[in-house]
Amino acid sequence: MIRVEELQKRFGALHVLKGVNLEVQKGEVLVIIGPSGSGKSTLLRCINLLIEPDSGRVFLDGTQVNRRDIRPEWVRQQVGMVFQSFNLFAHLTALQNVTLGPVRVLGTDAAAAEAQGRKLLDRVGLADKADAYPAQLSGGQQQRVAIARALAMNPKAMLFDEPTSALDPEYIREVLDVMAALAMDGMTMIVVTHEMGFASTAAKRILFMDAGRIIEEGSPEEIFHRPKQERTRMFVGKILR
Amino acid sequence: MAVGTILFILVLQTVLRFNILDPVLWALYFPSFLDGIVLTLRYLGIILPLSAVIGFTVGWARIAPFRTLSWPLSVFVDFFRGVPPIIVVIFAAVLGPSLLPARFRSQDIGIIIAALTLAMHSGAYQSEIFRAGFMSVPRGQLEAAQSLGMTRGAAMRYVVLPQALRLSIPPLANEFAVVVKDTSLLAIVGGFELFGSSFIFEQQILFSPGNQLSWIFVVWTAVALVYFVMTFAVTELLNAIDRRYHVKGLEAVTV
Repeated sequence: MIRVEELQKRFGALHVLKGVNLEVQKGEVLVIIGPSGSGKSTLLRCINLLIEPDSGRVFLDGTQVNRRDIRPEWVRQQVGMVFQSFNLFAHLTALQNVTLGPVRVLGTDAAAAEAQGRKLLDRVGLADKADAYPAQLSGGQQQRVAIARALAMNPKAMLFDEPTSALDPEYIREVLDVMAALAMDGMTMIVVTHEMGFASTAAKRILFMDAGRIIEEGSPEEIFHRPKQERTRMFVGKILR
Repeated sequence: MAVGTILFILVLQTVLRFNILDPVLWALYFPSFLDGIVLTLRYLGIILPLSAVIGFTVGWARIAPFRTLSWPLSVFVDFFRGVPPIIVVIFAAVLGPSLLPARFRSQDIGIIIAALTLAMHSGAYQSEIFRAGFMSVPRGQLEAAQSLGMTRGAAMRYVVLPQALRLSIPPLANEFAVVVKDTSLLAIVGGFELFGSSFIFEQQILFSPGNQLSWIFVVWTAVALVYFVMTFAVTELLNAIDRRYHVKGLEAVTV
């Protein structure tokens, strides 16, 4: 479904991605962990081309998509993204947040988009918050609306960039539950997170990234309890504590 | 507000011993008073919309990804911010007409050019208001819109612009109030708007027999009252727009 080959990205003198390779099968959930500054967010943004990689190839469904003749907008509308800071459109209600993409990008008519939007809000447990503005919602509720907003584009895959890191502890569970349900439904997902519980139950594979490289790859059991690399061991030791 | 204003004027005329409704004075003054108001409203009709268009365009151009215009526009903004508008008005009225082809030179072309420079003056200030509005919209909003597959243009139109405009309205009301009062600067180059026409009238009655010194108070109190009402109307209009499009918590989102 998604394949990345030899991805390189520099921001000025900073070498953020130093040749990253990964592959995610259809319906698979891949979790990426790693210290801050290791390039996880940049990697996700290179996959949906929010950031243009310097070199390397990004494949979606077997087609290389980081090419001059493919519009990045076309790629992004097929790969949903959920951000650490939610980024709900502050001037729109929850429902309008969910319908904006379908109406303005896909050309869905307003009534159909609204019906679909209400269904998606129901799916994330927020049917009663359709008319609330982002500022009137808790962090957990905002993040669930953001998930519904990404789903409204009917994406082939979803990218999650530390979706629970900005949340108060009491709201983390509800967001992870929605993500777990999504995984159960067979959504292809790449999730940057340090939530060990979610990683252990939802993901078959975990990647550990450090300093722009993938250091180690394995099952949750292998990465969390029997890491081979010293760097993985040190990092996992810190987050397990 | 209206009651407060009336009370203030009543107290003022008692202390200073004048009658704001003096019939003898108003018989003499009313024509220039009315002409002045009409002319001021006409200038405002040009200056307010034009300054907002200039401000919005310059403000947007300065945050746009292409940097070519950035330097000349910052010179434009710094110039009008740093030079007293009264001096710009004088230069515009004196030099402006000679820069135009002869067929455009009518009698009041100097004043019209001066009015246009007032619009540019306020436009420079407003461009900073709009620019701040754009920059207050968190970067993540644009990123989220793009992640849905919107082009940069669509993301600006549907996500960034509606928020930037909402954030710009309250400071804009403030700037519009300044513009209303700054039209009085046109008096110095012969614009007989409210301030100018009243000033001429005052000069006439000062040296005419049978005048009363208290008339000066009447004239300037009446003029001040009109500027006050105009300023109030303009800011109230913008406040009404602000309330109409207000989104709860929009100003608080700073993530």
